[in-house]
Amino acid sequence: MSEKPEVPYPPLPPVSKWLPVLVVAWLLPGGGHFYLKRTYRGMILSGCILLSFVVGLMMRGYMFQPAGGDLLTTVIYYGGFAANLATGLPFFMTKWFGYESADVAGHVVDYGTKFLVAAGLFNILAMVDAWEIAVGRKD
Amino acid sequence: MKMAFTHFETTLFLALFASAVLGVVTKKTDRERLMYGLTSFGYFLATIFGLGWLMYLGHR
Repeated sequence: MSEKPEVPYPPLPPVSKWLPVLVVAWLLPGGGHFYLKRTYRGMILSGCILLSFVVGLMMRGYMFQPAGGDLLTTVIYYGGFAANLATGLPFFMTKWFGYESADVAGHVVDYGTKFLVAAGLFNILAMVDAWEIAVGRKD
Repeated sequence: MKMAFTHFETTLFLALFASAVLGVVTKKTDRERLMYGLTSFGYFLATIFGLGWLMYLGHR
């Protein structure tokens, strides 16, 4: 009873140590790993995320806009928008260059949409990994 | 320029990207990462072929 519970992780280092890593990892897919000198891992992550994004664009995938409605619509459109936003700079570049694609039925466009969302989700995984390296929980 | 893949090619690409990313972010050593990436790609392939056959037999 009196024994202290074991602390699973060391305390977090100051924000200034990991916040820049997180921002770079978000804006440039794989960038957090390059910043932390994990070049090979950064190259694999960057390649997979950017290729997935480019394939999605070339299949004319739909970029989600936040939209409400019934629960399922809200989850899909807000979730899709969050995943698209997670891609970072490539997402903003599509906005700046005026990429538009209609939300229409068809397996090619539908797969394109999935690739764009997947690229964002991959980047979230890469960001978490970079953060874990930056705070010393991983090598 | 517009690209159109078949269902099989598309799922294969997605499986490849997903297993590479999962392999890199999940494990601690390079060997473990490689093994995890290959294993998850194998599972993706098994699922693709399994579901493909299931849909084919279900629609006969």
